[in-house]
Amino acid sequence: MKFGKLALAAALAPALLALAPAQAAELRIGLDSEPSAIDPHYHNLGPNNEIRRHMFESLVGQDEQQRLTPLLATSWKPTSATTWQFNLRQGVTFSNGDPFTVNDFIYTACRIPNVPNSPSSFTIYTKAIEKVETPDDHTLIIHTAKPHPLLPVEIATWGILSAKVFGVTQKLTFDKEGCGITSWPKTEDFNAGKGTIGTGPYTFGEFVKGDRLVLNRNDSYWGEKAEWDTVTVKPITNAAARVAALLAGDVDFISKPPTQDLPKLEADPNVGLAQGLSNRVIYLHLDQYGPSTPGVKGTGKPDAKYEGEGPCATQPCEKNPFLDKRVRQALSKAINRDAIVAKIMGGVAVAAGELLPHGFFGTNPDSKPEAYDPEGAKKLLAEAGYPNGFELVIGTPNDRYINDAKVTQAIAQMLTRVGIKTGVNAMTKSVFFKTRNLYEFSVYLAGWGAGTGEMSSPLRALVASRDKARGLGGTNRGRYSNKALDDLVLEALATVDDAKREAILQKASRMAMEDYSILPLHFEVTSWAHRKGLTYKARADQYTLAMGIKAAN
Amino acid sequence: MSSPVPAPAPIPTPTDVEGETVVGEQAESPWRRFLSDFFESRIAVAGLVVFVFLILAALFAPYVTPQNPYDLMQISIMDGRLPPGTQGEMIHYWLGTDDQGRDMLSGIFYGLRTSLGVGAASTVIALFIGGAIGLIAAYFGGRVDAMIMRVADLQLSFPAILIALILVSILGQGVEKIIIALVAVQWAYYARTIRGTALVERRKEYVEAATCLALSHRRIVFRHLLPNCTPPLIVVGTVQVAHAISLEATLSFLGIGLPITEPSLGLLIKNGFDYMLSGDYWISFYPGVALLITIVSINLVGDQLRDVLNPRLKR
Repeated sequence: MKFGKLALAAALAPALLALAPAQAAELRIGLDSEPSAIDPHYHNLGPNNEIRRHMFESLVGQDEQQRLTPLLATSWKPTSATTWQFNLRQGVTFSNGDPFTVNDFIYTACRIPNVPNSPSSFTIYTKAIEKVETPDDHTLIIHTAKPHPLLPVEIATWGILSAKVFGVTQKLTFDKEGCGITSWPKTEDFNAGKGTIGTGPYTFGEFVKGDRLVLNRNDSYWGEKAEWDTVTVKPITNAAARVAALLAGDVDFISKPPTQDLPKLEADPNVGLAQGLSNRVIYLHLDQYGPSTPGVKGTGKPDAKYEGEGPCATQPCEKNPFLDKRVRQALSKAINRDAIVAKIMGGVAVAAGELLPHGFFGTNPDSKPEAYDPEGAKKLLAEAGYPNGFELVIGTPNDRYINDAKVTQAIAQMLTRVGIKTGVNAMTKSVFFKTRNLYEFSVYLAGWGAGTGEMSSPLRALVASRDKARGLGGTNRGRYSNKALDDLVLEALATVDDAKREAILQKASRMAMEDYSILPLHFEVTSWAHRKGLTYKARADQYTLAMGIKAAN
Repeated sequence: MSSPVPAPAPIPTPTDVEGETVVGEQAESPWRRFLSDFFESRIAVAGLVVFVFLILAALFAPYVTPQNPYDLMQISIMDGRLPPGTQGEMIHYWLGTDDQGRDMLSGIFYGLRTSLGVGAASTVIALFIGGAIGLIAAYFGGRVDAMIMRVADLQLSFPAILIALILVSILGQGVEKIIIALVAVQWAYYARTIRGTALVERRKEYVEAATCLALSHRRIVFRHLLPNCTPPLIVVGTVQVAHAISLEATLSFLGIGLPITEPSLGLLIKNGFDYMLSGDYWISFYPGVALLITIVSINLVGDQLRDVLNPRLKR
């Protein structure tokens, strides 16, 4: 009986496909992680942001290479050093039929600081907005306190809510407090579908945490209509299970198949792959803060007393070798990046010479990954006063980046070969980040994805001096500090002219690399796997978007 | 409530046997009898031979393996994931290499060293601690007994792996920390076993006689009671070595416990598990076989010991 049905289906399938190629109904996606909420402004996190893009559009979009594209705004330009004009798209309606106007923009900008318990808020992307003028329903004039060239990029990071859906019909005036509104939608309401109404190509269907998220096509979408009637997104966190689900036909599309399975998937006639270089760099941070450092042995007594945060303030530590640029350079020379890419990453990664891959805004076209030179590394170590090397422990997460702990083990081998006897301390990501934030590592491996897709993002976060007031060095746990570099980064952040800003960023990037402030290792190549008959354009931001998944003709 | 609760021993032991257990001077040549009884079973002898071989392999690993897999100078990721029987630059990889380029054969020998070492050390320590506590409980009885046994009950009501997981995550990485965790989950077995036996022995005349001679508590407990309680302890101890080894392997497989640059058998299996779907079976398979052989051989020896030392099964 069952077999008969199956045979019938098999016989009919090609005929049906030939008759109606565009009628592909349902798409099932298996993702490696699930959003922490459907609320688009609750948590600035990759999985949340990719889901948000299906339902809530932003004024400015980002294409596969993170270049800015018109979305709800048709055009934008700076009208002076501190003002920007955005022209909104005419005739756009929310999925419930309400028209989209400037009021919705202001409502959203006011709501973002008013999300209770947000683990990582979007306020960093709204705080530059000082004042908003609205000459008409579809024109915005945004004032910033200082020149702020990144405003369009920041506006691309958050999706627009409908003011009317939440009972706000009066004309709003933007202010930093909350625009005079006292009652805000709750995060839980969005999860239940209450107020989950945007202008995007898909509408909210159902969200069962840990099991599935269902999206339906928005038939009144202003742009090109979505290809799929319904999209079901399932979180399958175990990589092997995700691949198994694809091979068994339980899902049509998966994100991040493990690198070691790629050759097998490539050879499978029923499976297709999409791959693309991401904006995520994997790097080593070296502790360059105090005279002593916790993870090093055999370097002797420190020259001075350790002051400030970190374990060395309370316990005896040995001398910090990484204050010497020659040691940092020796480490870089000792690492065979090509071998890591070939053997550990299975060829699906690109050796890094800067913090963003070539072609991204602010990179130096002539930059190259450090050449593997173990003899040169030994010589530099000897010059720096460590002819017999020293002992080192590298910290690494083992479940955050692609093959993270394996890469660190390979680096430990390579460093041991030049005389730095290296151990590996691998831990799960939550413990790793906590330990790192207490400065307990002398050297650690981590990664950074440039959300803005240009050089100021990694420079500002990873190598600029830690300075909360100026918004610099937020993730610089190596605590490298160089005033000249800080000045360049700040100058770039206040230069509106693109060509000038790019030149400054290139100079800053070169400065950071020549000083070995941080050791970039490789850029992750993101992979997606799908059943035959689909195509996907790989995205540098590593997002999986149903809009990009098309049935092949 | 204060009456002693009969302790259900994890395996049959001669706790409830009335009459003399075979000990020391009473039998003519107890060692010979013990050995001849033991060698009656061929399969147990085979287990013993394999087990002795494994111990030798573990002890002499540095001298017989082609490579020291813990020395990062000797391994190279350029030799990573080679199938069994590949000729490398310097050595022949009989069982292939793992993702870091470690020779699997050397890795297994060194892994055995860690696994057997951790298993034996934790068993011996747990045996001493658990044995002493159990003897004290049985000899003094009353409140001391009730208190100790309730603690043991409480602990035995949790799965061993859960307690070990919690302890290792609190204590952190390292061989000695794994041993502490394994001792903590195992002592209760020994305490219960020896208490059961000692309760029976305590009521016998020779203990009464010793008490009448006004011997010290210590002398009665350790010179009179303890020797008569050892056979079940030996049996439980042997089986628990196998248990400790598999527990250690489980912890390593879950990625906690030992550092990843010095893999034990469990960690080797885990490393290879990532590559199961891609066809590099040998990384997981051979360490798995080694672990299986180890545990089976220990259990064979343990089973035969139990039969030999159990007077009820005497033919």
